[in-house]
Amino acid sequence: MEHGRSRRKTPEPEKCRDPYLRCAFHGAAQTALGVAGSALLAHSPQGCEYLVNNAFAWQACDYMEVITLCTKLCVDEIVHGGEELLERTILEAKDLPISALFVLSACGPEIVGDDIVAVCETLQPELKFRLIPIECAGFRGSQYDGIDIALDAMLKHLVNRSGEKIPNSVCLIAPHANANPTWIADLDWVKGVLAQMGIRVVATLTHRTPLAELEHAASAEASLLLSHDAGQKAADHLSAAHGIEQVCGGIPLPIGMTNTERWLTALGERFDAQKTAESMVVEGERMAMATCRRKWPMARFFYRTPAAIVADATVGIPLVRFVTEDMEMTPDLVALYTSQRSVRDLLERELDDLDLAPTVVYGTDVYRTRQALAETKPKVVFGSTIERHASEGLGVSHVVEVVKMMRQFRMIDREYFGYTGILDLFECVQNEWTMAWRSREKRYEARW
Amino acid sequence: MKQIAIYGKGGIGKSTIASNLSAALNEMGQTVMQVGCDPKRDSTRILAGGRFIPAVLEEHREKLRVGKDEYAIDLDRIVYRSPGGIYLVEAGGPEPGVGCAGRGVLTALQILKDLDAFETYGIDVAIYDVLGDVVCGGFSMPIREGFAREIYLVCSGGFMSIYAANNIARAVQRLGLRGDTGLAGIVCNSNGDEALERAVIPAFAQRLGTAFVQFVPRSPVIQAGEMEGRAVVEYAPDSREAEIFRNLARAILANDTRVIPTPIAELAELETMYREHLVKK
Ligand code: SF4
Repeated sequence: MEHGRSRRKTPEPEKCRDPYLRCAFHGAAQTALGVAGSALLAHSPQGCEYLVNNAFAWQACDYMEVITLCTKLCVDEIVHGGEELLERTILEAKDLPISALFVLSACGPEIVGDDIVAVCETLQPELKFRLIPIECAGFRGSQYDGIDIALDAMLKHLVNRSGEKIPNSVCLIAPHANANPTWIADLDWVKGVLAQMGIRVVATLTHRTPLAELEHAASAEASLLLSHDAGQKAADHLSAAHGIEQVCGGIPLPIGMTNTERWLTALGERFDAQKTAESMVVEGERMAMATCRRKWPMARFFYRTPAAIVADATVGIPLVRFVTEDMEMTPDLVALYTSQRSVRDLLERELDDLDLAPTVVYGTDVYRTRQALAETKPKVVFGSTIERHASEGLGVSHVVEVVKMMRQFRMIDREYFGYTGILDLFECVQNEWTMAWRSREKRYEARW
Repeated sequence: MKQIAIYGKGGIGKSTIASNLSAALNEMGQTVMQVGCDPKRDSTRILAGGRFIPAVLEEHREKLRVGKDEYAIDLDRIVYRSPGGIYLVEAGGPEPGVGCAGRGVLTALQILKDLDAFETYGIDVAIYDVLGDVVCGGFSMPIREGFAREIYLVCSGGFMSIYAANNIARAVQRLGLRGDTGLAGIVCNSNGDEALERAVIPAFAQRLGTAFVQFVPRSPVIQAGEMEGRAVVEYAPDSREAEIFRNLARAILANDTRVIPTPIAELAELETMYREHLVKK
């Protein structure tokens, strides 16, 4: 065959398969930046470091307290390896007033074989602060996998062997693995509940967590996982290595009336605070209903409206019950960003319990979401800005933007957990309902 | 300018073939540049009188260390002229076990291109001697980026060398579909089992859809030249071996055909082909 005669065409990518989640490097950065008084060194090219900035915003870090560094790898370090540059950069950071330096490796250095663990071990004796290597190249998985990788590194490097257990105490896990863009409010709500029940928080993995808290995490009596998407491995490790039992495991997080009641009750039972839990439920439900009576949300117009839920499992699974019971809509589609066994088991249990049989898509991407929306034809979608575009032309009337995986500016954090959280969600629905009457076309007609 | 690349299994004698070919072409009046694309940087050792010459990437690194880029490199520091007048370049690469040698090879080739090395020295034939097997995408860079247009595979009668050559043909097939590169032929560097090699390698070449270009016997003359740090056309100009390399040089100069090869997809088929010739022998 003569050269050049039979050219094969490179197949055109047919569909947009944009993932919802960022890479593992991002998740690891979100986790490391939750440790107060520490610094993060990205062993990466400058492009990946953008994700560190993003994670910085996600953790609402204070630039007066948290420092980020980057080795800014170029072709020289890809060709010859970047360990030397990493060593130099760590040594330059020697005098920083920090308690720990997290060294995170991106794809490039891991592909060419940089051994960040060996570099950290070699340099540790020369440094006053702790060096924690986290091998979290983006190709290792999604941002939620990155959170698991970083938590694993932290637990294995930093947590001291169990001393005395502190009675009535918990270790909170993965509050930041949550698609609610103001997840910090969810965490605050949980801390408020724990304080009322007389439960002490030994460590939070991670948000504004001092290193000393991490080191003493093993003294917690129980662990409380605040995500359905990441952190289960950390909870399992704490249980196996330090005898810390997991509470509220296997039930949806407290979003919506029933979920909140179940979650508070399970917590109260474990910590002998049933009375407090009961009064929280009574008072919370009374407050939510009284507010609804006064404010008149238009939820009734959505009665039995076919709905879709497109979110991570942390928000998405509890929303199934909220949409069904509190909003009285009919979920026809549940599309979740993640797909691990625990996510499937929990969602299936919920669907059985609610006697629902919607279309379910695990580990969805934007294309699969659009396909599923086209097939199920919901009228309302609980999702993000992405679905507002992805549902274009499919007859979806309302997209309630409850999750935002993209960076979004918010000054005030508002929770979805608990009873105020229910009102917050009602508010999202109400505003979306109102906005639908103010489309550009309608305004135009009204004026002329 | 003719740009050819020599690929083949590690240790098969690519550098020996490339160096003797360069010397034969040089003897015919061609201006030749041989570019070693192997971090071991031993491709041009025979032509450099048994010495190791400085590598492009080392020089580049020095410049980067003082905040300069490749344009600050002086061509004379990376292009070495052999006593016989052949231009020699070694790409160089990282220490074993770190970094990405494939990316290194491409960087070095890009530097040569950016510095107009071929035009500066008026090169007629550039020969790329590429590291071992195609172990990752990086080592196919000379093909992918269009540095090498004609690929010659070197193999012996050893089954694994034919297996490696078939793998390289797969890379050439994939990359040839995108660009202006193709397989130009197979050279046999004998391991001594001449009867088998003379049967199986032409059959293999035919199967790939390419030419069997030259048989190079296993010879003490070639080995002695190598030990002396000299090419055969200089070390024993009147020998049968020198004539073989001149023939190879003539064939390569005359060739203007390159094909997208048709490699054997199944290992079992390759084994069957090999066994058939083992029996015939
Ligand atoms: S996938 Fe890899 S290269 Fe891309 S941003 Fe993440 S770490 Fe960097």
